[in-house]
Amino acid sequence: MNLSWRASGFNHRVSLRQAALAVVFAFAAQHALSAQSAPVAGGTLNWGVETEPRTLNPQLNGQDKVELLLRNAYENLLARNADGSFVPWLATAYKVSADGKTYTFTLREGVKFSDGATFDAAAVARNFLNAREPAYSGGSSLATLISHVAAVTTPDSRTVEITLKEPYSPFLTFAARLPLLSPASFDRPNLKAGGIGIAGTGPFILHKYDKGQEIEFVKNPDYRWAPANTGHQGAAYLDRVVYRFLPESSVRTGALLSGQVDVIEGVSGNDAGLIRKNPDFSYRQALNTGTPYSLFLNVTYGPTQDPKVRRALLEGLDVGGIIQSIYRGQRTRAWGIVSPIDPLYDRRIEQAYGNNPTLANSLLDGAGWSTRDSAGFRTRHAQRLTIDVIQAQATVRDQRDVLLQALQAQARQRLKINYVDDGTYTDVRKSGKFGAIANSNTPPDGIDIEGHYLPVDRGGALNYSRSPAPELSRWLQAAAGTQNTAERKKAYGELQQFAIKEQALAVPLYEPEDQIAAATYVQGIRFRPFAQMPENPYDIWLTRH
Amino acid sequence: MNPPRILPELAAERTSHPALAAPKHGLRRVARGLRALPRSPGLTRIATGLLVLWAAVSLSFAAIQLAPGDIVSLLIGEQVSTPAIEAAIRREWGLDEPLYLQYLHYLWRVLHGNFGRSYILNTDVAALVSSQLWPTLKLTGCALVVTIVFAVGLAVLTAGRRWGGRLASGIELVLASTPSFWLGIVLLFIFSFTLRLFPVAGDRGFASLVLPAVSLGLAQGAVVGQVLRHGLTRALDEPFALTVRSWGVSGSALRFRHALRHAALPAVTLAGWLFGGLLSGAVITEQVFGRPGLGKITVDAVLAKDMPVILAIAIFSALIYVVLSTVVDLLYLLIDPRLRERRTRH
Repeated sequence: MNLSWRASGFNHRVSLRQAALAVVFAFAAQHALSAQSAPVAGGTLNWGVETEPRTLNPQLNGQDKVELLLRNAYENLLARNADGSFVPWLATAYKVSADGKTYTFTLREGVKFSDGATFDAAAVARNFLNAREPAYSGGSSLATLISHVAAVTTPDSRTVEITLKEPYSPFLTFAARLPLLSPASFDRPNLKAGGIGIAGTGPFILHKYDKGQEIEFVKNPDYRWAPANTGHQGAAYLDRVVYRFLPESSVRTGALLSGQVDVIEGVSGNDAGLIRKNPDFSYRQALNTGTPYSLFLNVTYGPTQDPKVRRALLEGLDVGGIIQSIYRGQRTRAWGIVSPIDPLYDRRIEQAYGNNPTLANSLLDGAGWSTRDSAGFRTRHAQRLTIDVIQAQATVRDQRDVLLQALQAQARQRLKINYVDDGTYTDVRKSGKFGAIANSNTPPDGIDIEGHYLPVDRGGALNYSRSPAPELSRWLQAAAGTQNTAERKKAYGELQQFAIKEQALAVPLYEPEDQIAAATYVQGIRFRPFAQMPENPYDIWLTRH
Repeated sequence: MNPPRILPELAAERTSHPALAAPKHGLRRVARGLRALPRSPGLTRIATGLLVLWAAVSLSFAAIQLAPGDIVSLLIGEQVSTPAIEAAIRREWGLDEPLYLQYLHYLWRVLHGNFGRSYILNTDVAALVSSQLWPTLKLTGCALVVTIVFAVGLAVLTAGRRWGGRLASGIELVLASTPSFWLGIVLLFIFSFTLRLFPVAGDRGFASLVLPAVSLGLAQGAVVGQVLRHGLTRALDEPFALTVRSWGVSGSALRFRHALRHAALPAVTLAGWLFGGLLSGAVITEQVFGRPGLGKITVDAVLAKDMPVILAIAIFSALIYVVLSTVVDLLYLLIDPRLRERRTRH
C-alpha cells in the first residue's frame, strides 16, 4: 500500500518535471545524470538570498521573495500541482458546498507543531479567527480575504468548516495557502514580529536569526507529513540551512562562484550567462504567477482619460523588442492581465495588439494631439502630451528603471517618470492624481485580477487605472461565483479583452521570474509547483564534495 | 591628567578661542548664546548635551510629520483599507492622539528608557538599535583606523616633496571621488572572489571587517590626507622646522614629532564631519558586504516613516556626536600645549 502510494508519487514527479520543462526554461540537463544516485542525509546548506524578511510571521509578511525561507517552518492545508489542482497536505480532503459558501477541510492525523502542540481543528480555526482581528491583519493581504468569512466552526477535532458571506471561489486558494501557526503563538508578545516561539509544522525549525546577516533553520526530526508531490517523505535530508542576506546581485554571484555559499536566488541577466557556461554550477528559472509588470493608465486624471491616448500607447510600443534588448533574451514578454502560467490565462490576447505606429499615430490625430513639438512629442493647443508615471523607489528592481527609460524613448507621449519614496507614493496613489503606475503582483487564481480591477472603494486596492466600468465588476463576480475553471477562464478572458485590447487600462510589459543558481553538488533543487517560487530545501541533499 | 577636571576648563577655553569654536555644532553655539549667566562649565556641558539630544528628537519628530505620506495609509500600504482597520491601527500605535500629545508621550517614554516598538518590524526599538549599533561602531571604528593610518602615512611620506606630493594628491583625488559601492565590489572581486583571502559578507570575526573597513575608510582618508599634507607642508616651511633641523634632528623625526602636531589641528577639526561621513557611508558598505548594522535599518525606517526607529536613531547619533565633540576637545588639549598652558595660568 505504502509502496504503490510512493510509486504514484514518483510518477507524479515525472509528469511535473515534464510540465515544468514545457512551460519553464529548466536547464538541468547535466543535472539529470548525477541525480541518479540515491540521496544522502546530512550537511549544511548555505543559501544567499536577496531579501530579508520584514517580519518572520508568515501570515503577515507579504514579501514574495522571502516565502522560500518562511516555508521551512510553516505549512498550509493544501499543496498545488503544476496545473493548479490541489494536493492533500495538512488537510487530507476538502469540500466546497453546492452553494459555494461552505468550505470543509478534513485534517491529517498525527501532525505536531514544533512547540509540541497537536495540529487539530481548534488550532486551524484559531488561525482563521485571529485573522479577522483588524489590529492583527490590518495592512496585510489577510485582511482582504478574511473579510469574506462569516463563520468558522469545528464539528469535530479533525474537521474545520468555514462559511462565507457570499460565494467567492478565490477563497479556496487563500484558505489552502494560509500558513498555519501553533495556537500558543497567538498569545506570544512577538506574534506580529514572528521568530522563535512562533511555531509551525514545517520540515525545518527556526533556530537563530541575526538581523542583517543570516537566518538559520535546523531539521525537524519528527516531520512526516510532506504532500505527495514532493521528492520524498519523512524528515528533510539536510541538518541545517543558513540563509545569508546578500542584497547585491553581483555579490551573490561572486559568493556562489567562490564557494562561499552553495545556492543563490535572484541572478541578473548578465550573471546568468556566466553561470550557465560554467559546468560546476546549475541554473534554473521560472516565471511567477500573478500580474505581469504592467504600466497601468489612470482613466480619471490627465490625458490618459481619453481611451485613444491610452490605446495609442498600447498599440504604438514595440514591447517585445524593448524587453529582448534590455534583458538580453532572459525575460518573457507579457500580453495579458495574468501570467502565462496561470490556468486562468486566455492566450488569445497574444499578438492582438502592439508595434503598430501607424495606428498609434492615427489614434492621436483623432484625439486632437495632432501637432508635434521640437522634441518630437505630440502636442495639442501648444501643450505637450505628458503622462506622469509614478514609480515607488522601493519596487525598482530587475532593471525596471532602464525598461521605463526605453519605453519613454519610443513613446509618442512624453512619459514623465517620477521615482518617489513610499510616503509620496501612498499619498499620490490615494489622491488619484497621477497618469500611470507601473507594478506587478504575484497572487494567482484571480486574487491578483480582483485587486487590479475591482472598484477602488470596493476592494480594488491595486486598481491603478481606477476604471469604474461596471462590466469589470460583472466579470469578476461571474468568475468568483463558480469553481469551474473553464467558466472562470472565460469570464477573466472577456475582462482581459476589454481591459487591455479595447480600453488599454494597462500596458503589460514582462513577466517577473525567479532564478536559482547552485553548485552542482546541491541536488534536488526545485521551484514550487504552480506558484513557481523557489521551494524550501526539504528535497535538497548534498553529494560528497 | 584627570579627564573630568579637564572638561570644565575646556568648555571655557573653547568659547574664548573663536578659531576653534568655528567647526562646532551650530545648535550648541545657539544654546551657549542663550545661556544668560555663566555657571559651572561642567554643568554647562551636560546641559548643552541634553539640549542637543532634545533638539535632535524634536526636529526629527517635526520632520517626520512634515514628510509626505500619512502614517496609517503607509502602514496599510496597498492592502484593503476600511474604517475599522484604520481605527485599529491608529489605536494600536497611539496615532489617535493629537500630535502634541503624541510628542509629549514620546518624550515621557524616552525619559523612562522606553523607545517604543517599530511600526514595520514590530520589534522593540531599543533592542533593535542596540543590537545593530555594535556592528556599525565596529565598522566605523575600524574604518577610522584605516582613515588615520592612510592619511597620516601618505601625508608624512609625501608632504613637501614635489613629485611625491603630486602623486599622492592624484591618488587622493581618485579615491575621494570613487563611489564606495564600486570600491567595495572591486575589493570583494579581488580579495574575496578571486584570491579568497577574506569572507564575502557578514559580521564574523576580524577577517570579515577588513574589506568593509578599507572600502569605507579610504575615501575619507583621502580627504583627511589632503588637509593633513597641506598643513604639514606649511609647518615644514616654518622657521621652527629649520631650528629643529639645526639641532641635528632627522627629517622623519621632524615630520612625525614636530610638524605633524601642527598639521593635525585642522585635521582633528574635521573629526565631526569624518564621523558623519563614516556613518552615512556605512549605509552603502553594509549593503554591499551584507553586514548587520544601523545603515539599512535607518534607510528602511526613513523610507517607511517608521517613526519610533527614526527617533531612536536620531537620539543615538546625537549622543555619539556629543561624546565625540568631548573627545575632540580632549585631543586639542593633547595636541596643542598652548591650550594647556593657558589653563595653568588661569
